[in-house]
Amino acid sequence: MKDKPSLGVYSFTGCAGCQLAILDCEDQLVDIFSAANVRVFYEAMSNNDDDAKVDIALVEGSINTDEQQEELKAVREKAKILIAFGSCAHHGCVQAMANGDGKWEERFKKVYGDAEFTVAKPMETRPLHEFVKVDGWIPGCPPGASQMLKALTQLINGSPPTYTNSAVCLECKFKENECLLNKHIMCLGPLTMGGCGAPCPSQNMPCVGCWGIIDEANHASELKKLMEYGFSKEEILRRFRLFGGSDIVDKVSELLEAK
Amino acid sequence: MKVTVNHLARVEGDGGIVVEIEGDKVKNVEVTIFEGPRLIESLAVGKSPEENASFTPRICAICSVSHKNASIRASERALSYPEPEKTYLTRELMHTGEIIESNSLHVFALALPDFLGYPSVVAMVDKYEDVVLKALELKKFGNKIMKLLNGKFIHGENATAGGFGKYPEEQELLEIKEEAEGLLPFMLSAADIVGGLEIPDYLEEETVFVCCNPADNKFGFWGDELIFSDGSVIPSSDYKEYILEKTVPYSFAKRSLYKNKPFTVGALARLICIGDRLTGKASEYYKKYRNDRWTKNPFYNNLAQAIELIYALEKIPGLVEKTIELEDPLRQLPGRTEGRGVGTVEAPRGLLVHDYNYKDGLCTDANIITPTAMNLDDIERYIGLAARNLNKQGKDPDYMAFEFEKIARAYDPCISCATHLVKVIKK
Repeated sequence: MKDKPSLGVYSFTGCAGCQLAILDCEDQLVDIFSAANVRVFYEAMSNNDDDAKVDIALVEGSINTDEQQEELKAVREKAKILIAFGSCAHHGCVQAMANGDGKWEERFKKVYGDAEFTVAKPMETRPLHEFVKVDGWIPGCPPGASQMLKALTQLINGSPPTYTNSAVCLECKFKENECLLNKHIMCLGPLTMGGCGAPCPSQNMPCVGCWGIIDEANHASELKKLMEYGFSKEEILRRFRLFGGSDIVDKVSELLEAK
Repeated sequence: MKVTVNHLARVEGDGGIVVEIEGDKVKNVEVTIFEGPRLIESLAVGKSPEENASFTPRICAICSVSHKNASIRASERALSYPEPEKTYLTRELMHTGEIIESNSLHVFALALPDFLGYPSVVAMVDKYEDVVLKALELKKFGNKIMKLLNGKFIHGENATAGGFGKYPEEQELLEIKEEAEGLLPFMLSAADIVGGLEIPDYLEEETVFVCCNPADNKFGFWGDELIFSDGSVIPSSDYKEYILEKTVPYSFAKRSLYKNKPFTVGALARLICIGDRLTGKASEYYKKYRNDRWTKNPFYNNLAQAIELIYALEKIPGLVEKTIELEDPLRQLPGRTEGRGVGTVEAPRGLLVHDYNYKDGLCTDANIITPTAMNLDDIERYIGLAARNLNKQGKDPDYMAFEFEKIARAYDPCISCATHLVKVIKK
């Protein structure tokens, strides 16, 4: 029998929900720990081996201090495969919603005043791929159980993880929900990575875009439609940015310039 | 001698402990948070109540429903939304789900391995299979409630300012009721396991406790007043006059003081301040295990969490029965476009404050204080006390490091929450 692959779960800045999503697989938790040799998983266990080389590194959270940049590089060196685990790792999620506006220092002062810190040098939130090579992505805020378990199974068996790259609308249609956009509600389903099973529109709540943007997202078209429905351009772009992280910065600039 | 815990395990988020000891003196105790600052409060500015209800819970996964309810309460108070009874009860049920999920995760998966000498809950399976599997079932039940009412285990969107997108079906609620009744016998026996654990006595000292003061002299997880263990009761909106925030250079988490002294929030604080309002089996267990060490020893927090699990399971059937009698209300609209609102709720690990100002329907100013931020000074104080006593007993650094980590863990610290924090930091 092949040796069990080794697995490390590493965490940077975020809500720690991606790790928690693993602990939320109550029925499979013992199986995951049996199928892989878990070397690092601070939220779950205390016998962690920080120096261990691992076959698979799941990295949650975004980078926003100088020390985290160094730690991330160290994880990269230890890992054969490094996976951006969840929205923060992939594009910065909510803490990156104002990236690129040039006002980070002003916001930092607003929250912390003139306090000085010895712990580390803080900086604007950045996703992992800006510092290291990332080999794959498990999307989600946080990743959903079915997609995550599939990706973990693929990784443990030596395959690259796959994910849904179609809009939330597809799954919403499968559920035969009435389209919220047709009811003139600001739903971001057409722009947003599916795989979540469309829980929000299934409860009459608009998609907020929390799993990130799909490759073929057409922001200009959605903007036009929503403006026809009477929403202001300012409000629409604000909603685009809420969960879009660093992925949305260039798109929003283009949309701002377009008339 | 320097005792260092580089990276706290079995807690939520990234933190560490450094204790410096010289001879018989403890020179310095620092609980360091090295998660980076996300500046969430500054990002709440310019947002609507719905946007704040959607993104501020991303402060923390394990307290996400508490953040959601605190955010909604703050916005609804600021802008004068009506709150129909069914909406209130559904929110309460959702909150109870989070308490069940989080308390059971902490008591059984994160803290119990410390007392029984295991590195993780998975390692306990061989000897304690029944308890582990049943505890995971309880945790799963908490998640099921949150998924039903909020749409997802973590970061659902169904609950928002003005109500819910969709209310659950009667049959779904009746299943929840039945499952709560089915899990109660396990929880009673499990609380006796936690109640029977030997509690270390090397760190005993009185402190002050605070929690929300639920209306009508009831036990519960929110209210518009705060109650302190010294007997004071204040309106939540006056919290800034009583809870003073400050920064320390070695951590991105802000600290809080009450009357210039550190204080404790969380399950233990709730039972100490309002435990005499419990009824049923929860009250029986509270009376059975309450003793005068509770106000001095943070390790009793685990037992307090277990007793709250009994309360939560006993509370659910009544909530379900009342809820299914009521018609689904429409989404409520704000009564005005500007004002200030303070939402205080009890997250599993303690008092959580969201404080918003709105103008023209958009937030102009936000302040959020999280339970772990409030607990950090007391965590440091008790680690310092333990360091003095264990050092006197001649314990070696490795032994001490493990004990310090256990103390921090007893508070169920939530570091994602603690890192962000408030403004007005005048040095």
